[in-house]
Amino acid sequence: MTPSPQFGFSLTARADAAPGADPTSAVAVSTLTSTARDILEGAFPPIWVRGEITGFKAHRNGHWYFTLRDRMAQVRAVVWSKDTRSIPAPPDEGMMIAAYGNLSVYPAKGEMQFVVRRMEAEGDGLWAKAIERTRLKLEAEGLLAPERKRPLPRYPRRVAVVTSPDGAALRDIISVMRRRAPAVEIVVVPAAVQGDSAALELSRAVARVSRWREADVVIVARGGGSREDLWAFNDERLARAIVACPIPVVSGVGHEVDVTICDMVADVRAATPSAAAETVVRDHAELANELRVAERRMSRALIKRVDRAKADVQWLASALRSRLVRTTERRRARVSELAGRLHALSPLATLNRGYGVARSTDGRALTSATAFSPDMPFELLLRDGTVAARATDVRRSEPA
Amino acid sequence: MSFEQRLRRLEEIVGELESEELELDRALKLFEEGVTCLRAATEDLGKVEARVQRLVERTDGTFEVTDVRE
Repeated sequence: MTPSPQFGFSLTARADAAPGADPTSAVAVSTLTSTARDILEGAFPPIWVRGEITGFKAHRNGHWYFTLRDRMAQVRAVVWSKDTRSIPAPPDEGMMIAAYGNLSVYPAKGEMQFVVRRMEAEGDGLWAKAIERTRLKLEAEGLLAPERKRPLPRYPRRVAVVTSPDGAALRDIISVMRRRAPAVEIVVVPAAVQGDSAALELSRAVARVSRWREADVVIVARGGGSREDLWAFNDERLARAIVACPIPVVSGVGHEVDVTICDMVADVRAATPSAAAETVVRDHAELANELRVAERRMSRALIKRVDRAKADVQWLASALRSRLVRTTERRRARVSELAGRLHALSPLATLNRGYGVARSTDGRALTSATAFSPDMPFELLLRDGTVAARATDVRRSEPA
Repeated sequence: MSFEQRLRRLEEIVGELESEELELDRALKLFEEGVTCLRAATEDLGKVEARVQRLVERTDGTFEVTDVRE
């Protein structure tokens, strides 16, 4: 069999000589580079490398190319498009980063290259950059404005919870709500809260609640985790789903230190899932107490009102009495005045001056001698009594 | 009437009862209504635990809530 360089050493190598040991067993270039690649990849476990970004280029095919360098050396680096998705934002030129990946060889060019799978900039630079970029965009559209924040319903009957159905966040929320407001319904809207599909699933779940329209308030929640774990909550799609939601949204993501885009667009930001549940439902013990207070206020107000009615009645009664007394007195005064005047006019007053009046036995005044006849009985009316009398002789005086 | 509506009504009743110019007749009626409201609201608070449910959207765009085993 004639040795043929095109077929590589496995087919052509002689048992007594290594491939490429002489011209007849020379290996192909591709054999050389791919062997170099295999050896390099086997020799270097995945490793973090620190360096400065230079010549960064995001290619149309989705891959990122750049050179990583320090003062002494440099290496070509690549991030395949599938891995760029787990990096929050493309790095800036000149940025100091730590890149995690494998050293390899690009056989087509015979170049050594560092294949980067993860990347971190100093001081969370990339995360901060990505969040800032989304924040600025939403802010420019006015979606973060304080006046957009809607008040939460005071006594929700049904709370939708967008979260992982198996997560600690849901357990925490259920336990807080059970304790504080057992009668409030919890409707879980399941979504992955980490991983590649999380952002999409979360935004779809929020959109589902929006379409459903039967919940009074939504909690979007996830327990604490690393920046990467919480990354879906910085996704613009989720932000827009929250903005479009017709009912108020409470964000309860991570622990207190992490502020996500989701926190910024939500109507209320709670630091944790438990805090979100506490924000949404008021403690029933507290409400029961409010009811007792209302009851006391109501009773007190009614008693006060009845007391006032009683006082009104009493006042009226006494006013009536005094009015009556005054009227009576006025009448009495009038009566005695009239009596005085009557008295002054009365012929009886004459009696007081010592005169007397003769009256017939049937009460007629006898004012003329002609009214008398001899032996006729009559009555003499005096100041202090009457005298029974009898006429003895009747003498008429001559008319003048 | 929902719990929220009841509480709001109760607040109105207390407010009106506490106002100065109120007919006695009206005050008595309000009080009676307030007591009914209070009783119903207190009952609401004592209701048994609501179930945890899960929202499911059907392919035709309609929704269904199903119980979740805790």
